[in-house]
Amino acid sequence: MTDHAARQLSRMFRDIASAMADARDWLTELDGAIGDADHGITMALGFEAVTAALAREDLDRMAPSALFEIAATAFLDAVGASTGPLYATAFRRAARFLRTQEPAASNTPAQAPSLAARPLAPLSTATQAGLLQAMAAGIAERGKGQRGDKTMLDAWIPAAEAAESAAGLDAASLWRAVLPAAEAGAEATRSMTAARGRAARLGERSLGHIDPGAASAVILLQAMARVLADQTDAS
Amino acid sequence: MANNRTTTPGRSPRLVPAEAAGAGPAAVPLRYGDDPYVWACWLYYEESRTQGEIAEIMGISRATVNTYLAEARARGIVNIALEPERLGALSVAQALKRHFGLEDCLVVPGDDGARPLIDRLGVAGAQALGRLVQSGDTLAVAWGRTVLSVAGQIKRQAQDPRLQDVTVVQATGGTRADIAYTPELCAAALARALGARLVHLAAPAIVSSPALRAGLMAEPLIADQFATLGRANKALFGISSLRPNSTIQTSGFFEDVSLQDYLAKNAVGGVAGRFIDAQGRPVAGPLDGRTIGIELSALAAIGLRIAVAGGFDKVPAILAALRGGYANVLVTDAATGRGILHAEGVSEGEAKARQRAESAGPAPLTGPRTHIKKFLNKADHVVEEMLDGAVQAHAAHIRPIGGSNRALVARNGPRPGKVGLVIGGGTGHEPCFLGYVGRGLADAVAVGNIFSAPPPAPILACARAASGGAGVLFVYGNYAGDVMNFEMAAEMAEEDGIAVRTVLTTDDIASSPREDREGRRGVAGNVLIFKAAGAACERGLPLEACAALTARANARTYTMGVALEPCSLPQTRRHNFELSADEIEIGMGIHGERGVARDRMMSADAVVDRVMDGIFAEMEAKPGDRVAVLVNSFGATPLMELYILYRRVAQRLAAKRIVIARNWIGHYCTSLDMAGASISVMHLDEELEALLAAPCDTAFLKV
Repeated sequence: MTDHAARQLSRMFRDIASAMADARDWLTELDGAIGDADHGITMALGFEAVTAALAREDLDRMAPSALFEIAATAFLDAVGASTGPLYATAFRRAARFLRTQEPAASNTPAQAPSLAARPLAPLSTATQAGLLQAMAAGIAERGKGQRGDKTMLDAWIPAAEAAESAAGLDAASLWRAVLPAAEAGAEATRSMTAARGRAARLGERSLGHIDPGAASAVILLQAMARVLADQTDAS
Repeated sequence: MANNRTTTPGRSPRLVPAEAAGAGPAAVPLRYGDDPYVWACWLYYEESRTQGEIAEIMGISRATVNTYLAEARARGIVNIALEPERLGALSVAQALKRHFGLEDCLVVPGDDGARPLIDRLGVAGAQALGRLVQSGDTLAVAWGRTVLSVAGQIKRQAQDPRLQDVTVVQATGGTRADIAYTPELCAAALARALGARLVHLAAPAIVSSPALRAGLMAEPLIADQFATLGRANKALFGISSLRPNSTIQTSGFFEDVSLQDYLAKNAVGGVAGRFIDAQGRPVAGPLDGRTIGIELSALAAIGLRIAVAGGFDKVPAILAALRGGYANVLVTDAATGRGILHAEGVSEGEAKARQRAESAGPAPLTGPRTHIKKFLNKADHVVEEMLDGAVQAHAAHIRPIGGSNRALVARNGPRPGKVGLVIGGGTGHEPCFLGYVGRGLADAVAVGNIFSAPPPAPILACARAASGGAGVLFVYGNYAGDVMNFEMAAEMAEEDGIAVRTVLTTDDIASSPREDREGRRGVAGNVLIFKAAGAACERGLPLEACAALTARANARTYTMGVALEPCSLPQTRRHNFELSADEIEIGMGIHGERGVARDRMMSADAVVDRVMDGIFAEMEAKPGDRVAVLVNSFGATPLMELYILYRRVAQRLAAKRIVIARNWIGHYCTSLDMAGASISVMHLDEELEALLAAPCDTAFLKV
């Protein structure tokens, strides 16, 4: 893949959107067991809005951080709910982190037509790892949650921890560490009773059900891996 | 043959041996290799027999024929293939629709060289219009070769005779008549083809000076014509490239000098006689002050915007129009569509993968009952269409803030010095929450998706609209999503200098134990709490006092609900959960979340007793105390049953010598089409009773 970062990320969001569209009914079913049965609809709608918003942008002039800002706003405005603020905060944290990685010139993306200002390289492994950590931190902060609450954090926190310890490896190895961690975390929500979100009111009746937020987090991470792990250049 | 069919076991995949043919199904003729599937397929696909005929021939039931045919496809005996070109066009259309978030996209399959592109686009455009134009529409029409071609094709396809009250309005002023596709002609041809009323713009597209433009725009006739244009709910237009042979270039519409100006400013295309750059932003130029026609911003505000355009030279212009949001329905050809996707870095493989995902999508509308019937146009449009209707129905009480129905303000609500009351939440609870906006109650409401909290942007818009300088009170149900979004909005409002206090409603006693009162969810008791809050604000009390009274109202309100049947979301049209024939869900919330316990179906009185016992356990009421009662339907339960419930509520309260000071019975806070009801009791004190008695005027609550 020779795409530069913004194109790579926009492809990643498209991949997430189509994965969520595929998983819509399954997620909605999961949510029906312990929530209000709209999680699949919400996730599909949110990422569809992100894709449509990014399609309106000129990616060749866009810094990755700006792309995440657009994704955050589009997702939040389309969705609301609890997923909206959680992922919007994740994306804003990702944007903030990416800004620290970008050369100063690309911080004014819209007015930077010169070739020199384009962030041409795909995201490095270290940057990808940092991205995951920033996203998980954003979700934890906005949701005021922690591991074991039976939420999406049960997938995100192990994913971020795995990313941290694999940050020095190549991209494929990073994702080989991240995905199983996230999957195991999501699977573990089956044996948890919910402490947050609507499912919290169910008490022990939430036992035995995988948390739909954790399930969709795995789908999202798998889509990220499909696009980001597949790169020859990881400078 | 007739009695043969009755003996056939529908599930058997093997056919009875030939010697049994006299008594059972017919033997499989040799040429089908003893395989009934192949035989059935041959008859169906090659000989075009109906399933009924095949049943006769094979001596089996129709149901078995159906099973054979389905099984044959599953096993790969039959492959159904779409013509590759058509399939390709479909996947390009699907990819374009997804990528740009379009309402719809129609792609003409690849060129066989037989017909010019312009004709093929015309046919497709006519097809799209035939599907999209409805009675009562006002259609704004721009000019161009493609648009004229569309009009020509509609004529040939013969219009829908049921179409009534359609108006076609010319979207730009007129041009010289030395081209065949002037704005006048395009609009007239389309109006004729659709049998529509025609409204021209009786002015030139370009006039010689801004002063003349201003003068013309002030003419009553032209102002009237523009008013019609302003009412357009659909638009049809072409997209022009700025290449030498483009519509814009050859129409004589612009002087060469002007065009060079626009090109120098990076214009890449034209829409309705206006220029746009690669991002779809309007490009300012010398003609701006002299152009008479629809503005780009007005075009973008029209509900359905159909662009018909094709050809490689137009790829940048079409891309610009899509990025600018001027079109939300695109009719193009496969080659152009691929070019656009390629320019966007979307690969064919991706388009195909999407195709698979889409095809699994919508549920079939026929067959055995798996889906709930609902009055819908498009499931994705449910909230917008509902709001469109509600805003019109309740125009006396509410109006949209800044053009968006997701934030509504009371017509006679906010005023200087009064604390503004902002409520809100997901939809699916109607008349909650927009039915309680008006004088003496809420000042503004933020509206989310179905069962989903609204995002911060509309909540902030509400806070600003409700603010009269004395602060704003947020009152909403205690749900994680609502809390996050309202908190984000509160932070933003505080940055704007608006003081915000929040009271979360937590009246559902079944949702959490008594010691975790603040962890409970807010349900139908909301309505009573809003009423008290609205009256406190109306009295002109300061923000802290309003918040304190509202908190007191919340602390003294107790609700419990019981569901008899589940609800179903419009997007899935399936039950959110299942309840068996004799089961009910006690403690049901208002989102179809499962309650806290299941029980066997019981009598109405027993249900009320179960609920009232729960409420009495918490509400420390003495004989002589006064309460307000709300018996609320979850959606499908009729008033008849609500009165039966109320009867028993009144008996139980009377037996404790508790006085019902006020009652409300009906649909106040629903859960889509759920069958069931909730009972709310507010334990009044003198002040709360006065607040509930204070006048208010909203769509669904008047005192």
